[in-house]
Amino acid sequence: MNEFLEQFQIEVRELTEQATDDLLLLEQAPGDRECLERVFRAFHTLKGSAGIVDFTAMSRAMHAAEELLTAVRNGGTEGSAALIGGCLACLEQVTQWLVEMAAADAVPAGADAMADRLITRLLGPAADPPRATENADWVDRLCEAHPDAGSASLAIRYVPSADCFFHGDDPLALLAAMPGLRALEVLPVRPWAPLDSYDPFACNIVIRALADATPEQAAAHFSGVRGEVALAPIAPAANSSLAEQAIAVLRAQVTMLQHATGEDLGVRLAAAGRVAGNVLRHSGQVSQARVVAAALADATETLDATPLLAALQHLLQPPSQPVAQPDAAPRRPTAAGTLRVDANRIDAIVRVVGELTVVKNALGHVALLARAGHDPATVAASLSREQLLLDRLTTQLQRSVLEIRVLPMRHSFRRFPPLVRDLATRLGKQVRLEISGEATEADKTVVEALFEPLLHVLRNTLDHGIEAVAGRVAAGKPAVARVGLHSRREGQNVIVEVSDDGAGLDIPAIRRRAEAQGALSSEAVTALSDQAAADLIFTAGLSTATEVTEVSGRGVGMNAVRTAIEQLGGRVAIDSRPGEGVTVRFTLPFSVVMTRVITLETAGQMFGVPFDAVTETLQLPRQHIQRIGATEAFVLRGRTVPLINLIEALGLTPDVARGEPAASATLVVTALDGEPAAFEVDAFHEQLNVMLQPVGGLLAGVRGIAGTTLLGDGRVLIVLDLPELLR
Amino acid sequence: MSVQRAPEGTIVLGETCPVEDADALLRLLSHSPAATVDWRGCRHAHSAVIQVLLALRPPLLGPPAGRFLRVHVAALVGCLPG
Repeated sequence: MNEFLEQFQIEVRELTEQATDDLLLLEQAPGDRECLERVFRAFHTLKGSAGIVDFTAMSRAMHAAEELLTAVRNGGTEGSAALIGGCLACLEQVTQWLVEMAAADAVPAGADAMADRLITRLLGPAADPPRATENADWVDRLCEAHPDAGSASLAIRYVPSADCFFHGDDPLALLAAMPGLRALEVLPVRPWAPLDSYDPFACNIVIRALADATPEQAAAHFSGVRGEVALAPIAPAANSSLAEQAIAVLRAQVTMLQHATGEDLGVRLAAAGRVAGNVLRHSGQVSQARVVAAALADATETLDATPLLAALQHLLQPPSQPVAQPDAAPRRPTAAGTLRVDANRIDAIVRVVGELTVVKNALGHVALLARAGHDPATVAASLSREQLLLDRLTTQLQRSVLEIRVLPMRHSFRRFPPLVRDLATRLGKQVRLEISGEATEADKTVVEALFEPLLHVLRNTLDHGIEAVAGRVAAGKPAVARVGLHSRREGQNVIVEVSDDGAGLDIPAIRRRAEAQGALSSEAVTALSDQAAADLIFTAGLSTATEVTEVSGRGVGMNAVRTAIEQLGGRVAIDSRPGEGVTVRFTLPFSVVMTRVITLETAGQMFGVPFDAVTETLQLPRQHIQRIGATEAFVLRGRTVPLINLIEALGLTPDVARGEPAASATLVVTALDGEPAAFEVDAFHEQLNVMLQPVGGLLAGVRGIAGTTLLGDGRVLIVLDLPELLR
Repeated sequence: MSVQRAPEGTIVLGETCPVEDADALLRLLSHSPAATVDWRGCRHAHSAVIQVLLALRPPLLGPPAGRFLRVHVAALVGCLPG
């Protein structure tokens, strides 16, 4: 990912999190000035950051929120719930954009429409006509559009009133008479009417201009006009210094260029040139931006970074000490990753690496002993001692490295309070969201991927689980419903639960629905335990909501939740207590990269199977296996378990040379959608903790492969995805 | 009224176009939407007249005589400097 987008991601995420917390705080204590200031500053910085990466849509949305907050700051309006809701919606959208940006590695497409929606929500539908067709950052835009208006010191925006022609005003004549006019733009306020309904005497223009004049001169010039006039002084380009943030950005461009190599030089040049240009324009240094653009053109033509580097370094030179370091030592490139890692975790790795060096030296010593013809038993003893040590250290190193990828649940959880608040308001329900265990850590992938399934579950809970206030009061429950979001670590798993004190699932309705939709026969439905019936809500196409609402109830939600969690290697369970509420529980692996596998052999090949997928293993006398139709099955603790032919499922040729099968079969029992299923293997081998590599290349399209890993002897172990393979 | 229709179909703006000319220009343009507007002799045009040019974007024959029109307005109404 582009270094700037990465930096943008980190900063914007932190800012939105902070601002969300502050907005919620502000709602509790509307009079908290300090909190209001913090929120305002956050929006202001977000707007600036968006400008730096050329993300105009976000910049506009942030500007709209900033304007409203300015009004509150100036005491013009009250900080209403609607305003807080609007600002929170902005932040939520920003978070969504971040996700899209991370995926696409670019500013998201279609962001403009979303920004317009947000702006309408914040400022009202075209309540203020000039704002509707004009960009909020008109001063920046104007300066950008007229780089040749170099000496202009004032930006003017003049919106004559619609009836000004009747009063004898001639707005453009006023501009013509304006001393020091440098640039002029005239835009329609509303889109031009078609020819037949065009009113020639209704003024419908916005005039924007750049002039070399003082605000006082301009104010005198425009005094008494009908309409509104805004004057904005522009910082003169020559003597304004760059902000610290801008300098940092430019420095990073220099670093990037210094380390750019032949292949991607063109791309990097373009990226660095564009970012630097944006930063400069953003800082009002339009003429410098032009210098950079010219240098970029030179550099691109010759595919040599020198002209651009020189231009950037010239900009970065502090004016007070012009020849301090003519050829400053290249800075180390800033961290390329987006992970912010606790220094202690890095220290732990450094320690282990130190110890590994000791083991390496010890092994050298053992090799010397062996070469010198020492007693093989002594050499073997030393070898196994070092091997044990090495084993311990690599395990430790693996754990430490994985911990780098670890994030607290807070990262996902903290997005929920504003969302739940918004949902509850829309549904007319009163809900208190209680979050606990947000410090529980899990792999970054898990924490980030959890957000959507959790949101689905919370939506369902609020929409269907929680009764309307009247219903709650009638049932003798407090009017304010409690929704819990809880997380904890259990061994190698992380548990995330969403619980509520609502009505619980309508089990009879689920049974009826399952039968009506033909998902199950009526006998099967009757035979289901309440628990099994509750699990049906995770089945595709089954929604118990009597009507589809805006919030949820399209019958895909809970199925999508299960799919998402299973993709993370987790499981979903639901626990419903009629009249008391529902708990949805996700059991997720602590890390998605580290998997414990059991190796097994079938048809002369080695395979790995994730340890969690195996319910049990057993030896069964062959006469207990019965043929039922085309398949085989056996009875295990009173349940019929189908025996699946793994060799067939994998499309392998049976090992015919093996002769008669053994008297007892070695079986692996796994659970498939909660139902047991078994397959036969030739033998079990050891259990391993492996870093599962995702399958790529030729294997990518093959069904039923969870990943691959390297065995100690260099062979590749294919790890099977049992549910997918056997389904 | 200084807006005139020349025999060959071109609409010609006079040296100074007051506010009323907006209506006249609009009517001439709605009669012959493809007509070219010749503003080479125009020194000053009222905002209402310029607004008609902005909204309807007729082909223009320029440059106009007035400096303000030439330097600042011509580009806005799609008249190439020339």
